Amino acid sequence: MNQPLAGYAPAPVTARMENHGNHMLKVAMQTGNDLLARVGSMVAYEGFIQYEPNPPAVRQIARDWITGEGAPLMKCSGDGLLYLADYGADVVVINLNGDGISVNATNLLAFDAHLTWGVERVKGLAKFAGQGLWNTKISGQGWVALTSRGKPIVVDCGGGEDETYVDPDALVAWSPNLKVKGKRSFKAQSLIGRGSGEAYQMAFSGQGIVVVQPSEDSTDRLRFRG
Amino acid sequence: MAREFQRGHKARISDLTAGTDLYVGVQISAPGLTFDISCFGLDADERLSDDRYFVFFNQPKSPEESIQLLGAQAGDTESFRITLDRIPAHIRKLSFTATVDGNGQMSQIAPGYLRIVAGGEEVARYSFSGSEFSTERAVMLGDFYFKDVWRFAAVGQGFDGGLEALLKNFGGEVLEEETPAEPQQPQPQPQPQSGAAPGFAPPAFGVPAAPAPAPAPAPAPQGFAPPPGHTPPPGHTPPPAPAPSVHGAPTIIAPMAPPAGGTVPPPATPPAPAPYGQQPQQPPYGQQPQQPSYGGQPGAPMPPGYGQQPAPYGGQATPPMPPGYGQVPGQQAAPYGVPQGAPQGGAGVTAALQAFKETPTGQRWTQQNKKLIRVDLGIGGQPVLARQGSMVLYQGKVDFSYKGAGFAGRIVGNATGQEMQLMRCTGQGQVFLAENSTHLHPVELQGDAICVSAENVLAFDESLQYEVRRVEGHGIPGGALFTMQFQGTGTIVVKTHGTPVVLPVTPTTFADCNAVVAWSAASQVIVSSQVRMRRNAYPGDTGESVNLQFRGAPGNFIVVQPYEV
Repeated sequence: MNQPLAGYAPAPVTARMENHGNHMLKVAMQTGNDLLARVGSMVAYEGFIQYEPNPPAVRQIARDWITGEGAPLMKCSGDGLLYLADYGADVVVINLNGDGISVNATNLLAFDAHLTWGVERVKGLAKFAGQGLWNTKISGQGWVALTSRGKPIVVDCGGGEDETYVDPDALVAWSPNLKVKGKRSFKAQSLIGRGSGEAYQMAFSGQGIVVVQPSEDSTDRLRFRG
Repeated sequence: MAREFQRGHKARISDLTAGTDLYVGVQISAPGLTFDISCFGLDADERLSDDRYFVFFNQPKSPEESIQLLGAQAGDTESFRITLDRIPAHIRKLSFTATVDGNGQMSQIAPGYLRIVAGGEEVARYSFSGSEFSTERAVMLGDFYFKDVWRFAAVGQGFDGGLEALLKNFGGEVLEEETPAEPQQPQPQPQPQSGAAPGFAPPAFGVPAAPAPAPAPAPAPQGFAPPPGHTPPPGHTPPPAPAPSVHGAPTIIAPMAPPAGGTVPPPATPPAPAPYGQQPQQPPYGQQPQQPSYGGQPGAPMPPGYGQQPAPYGGQATPPMPPGYGQVPGQQAAPYGVPQGAPQGGAGVTAALQAFKETPTGQRWTQQNKKLIRVDLGIGGQPVLARQGSMVLYQGKVDFSYKGAGFAGRIVGNATGQEMQLMRCTGQGQVFLAENSTHLHPVELQGDAICVSAENVLAFDESLQYEVRRVEGHGIPGGALFTMQFQGTGTIVVKTHGTPVVLPVTPTTFADCNAVVAWSAASQVIVSSQVRMRRNAYPGDTGESVNLQFRGAPGNFIVVQPYEV
């Protein structure tokens, strides 16, 4: 009866984080190697895993972030296999191995708790009065899982004289050593981008990559802040 | 990622792969029919001036073996090996054809394809099916042709007369004694080289064919087993030295996981040869940073410095990793998550995201993945009109401006609730377009015309002429369906929610007006409503009472998406 479904059985574990299909993340949990994951992203688990919503330390750091965003994290610990998903979004697994990456908060699914991470305001965008883009910078030795609405594309900024311009609504992640600037396109007033009536793009320059999703339908990334 | 070709699409081979040692597989089948698949080597006048270059079942290779027939393998009905740089100078075009052996016609064939495999990876695929043909008995599937560089074109042109007509078309009476009957099946003859074919063990050909201008000539010994053909050739072992794999790195974006994902190498394999045909692809994981440009395509017309691998990343990925790498260092020893090797991706951000790299081709419109398309404004030099808000990223100097009220106003003026706002993208640079994760389909028009429902248009070349039409009828929401008819030469990008279905227009073709996306302009649209007193008199309507009927000559088609607006 269940032969057609048998093909979806989990594959043997080969790494700390893996994709199960394109849209699901499988994490091999071990004691002492905790995981921070988006609240509500757990779809299944196997073994003994405990969930601690909003651990105090995280809350402190993430206070700013939470006020604007409402995407808190939970701490998962224990032994077992944990399956995470985010409303069918594509999941991208990255083994940082010492690199760093700057991720939009809404696109962050899970990461190893021992990584260095912090919420920071994107420099350069702050000059628009009262607005800023907040993102999470993660670095260290470990694994990170991102989500993307649709298969993402990775663009090399290349360091040429031309900058790479991205619609903030479609931005997923970028290399932290890129220079970021905000750009308001005056010519196309209110015609590019959506929602706010203002056309913003973010300009990246330097050596690094930018990850972009083929969709612009997520929540506003440029938030009003006091 | 294999590029999908449609009939009429062309591309430079160097944009598909930097290798010149190509595998061409053809799959074509029909119930009860057999096919002869052959390759014509034509001269500059498209004549078969040298009949030694008519490669078919009776002549399985050309004199210097630049064209070889390999027989059926790996799901392909017939396959060829083409070594482009050994093709002599008087052969300027290779035409791959399929002819029906016996009685039958091309409209009976099941969906098939012609694909190009390089370095063990499928780089291009042209799919066709019987609905594109009618009574033809032969079809020219695709061409390799030399215009400055070698290029590939998906042809898909049928011939009524079968093999004889094809031969006549290519220059005449040569081989007439072969053509009448030869009722032989196109089965792979047990020639010596078809036995050695799947693996291409190096000793099989003396010259290791390592010319290739690119830094990645892809001579890799694994090269010739096409991806599905995981069956390891018995006794075939790749050369033990991992050194050549530096240059044997996959030429396009390398899939960081082995294609089928099933081949898990034993843990902690030292850099010894792995027993699979595919396995030599693995060492490039750690060595990625050494590859100067990730596409490996020096000829691609890109801004300088564009394709460089950024030094700061990847630089940290220690190059001499053993293939079995991928464990979290020092974190195992738990019962559950004991990693077994088989890296999902390499280490580091760049390596992990390698699978999502931009695909560099020198073309104006490039589909990056199903949902994202890139237009290079510098090629062709004409502006693009795109739906507002569909830009997700751009590089270079691109201006976006409002596209005039003339057009938008007309639609807005006519429509009740329907409007479409366009922006004009001008300048030099690449613009990436996507919208709401819809599937995108570039349609290349070469003088023909297509009607697209206005809300399914994402972008199009400004060179196309378009006009807005309305399909009126009772029962259509909003009173009318707005379509845009495009005509001329250029590309239009159609978006659909989900994978669409393309139906041939028959005497009884109906579509829901909310789900229809596009249709060939030669077909006629009629609004048909089912008027049944009983249905209309009672509540409980099926909701499917108003449909569009399409009529037209064979060859017309409609496109329907699995989504009703």
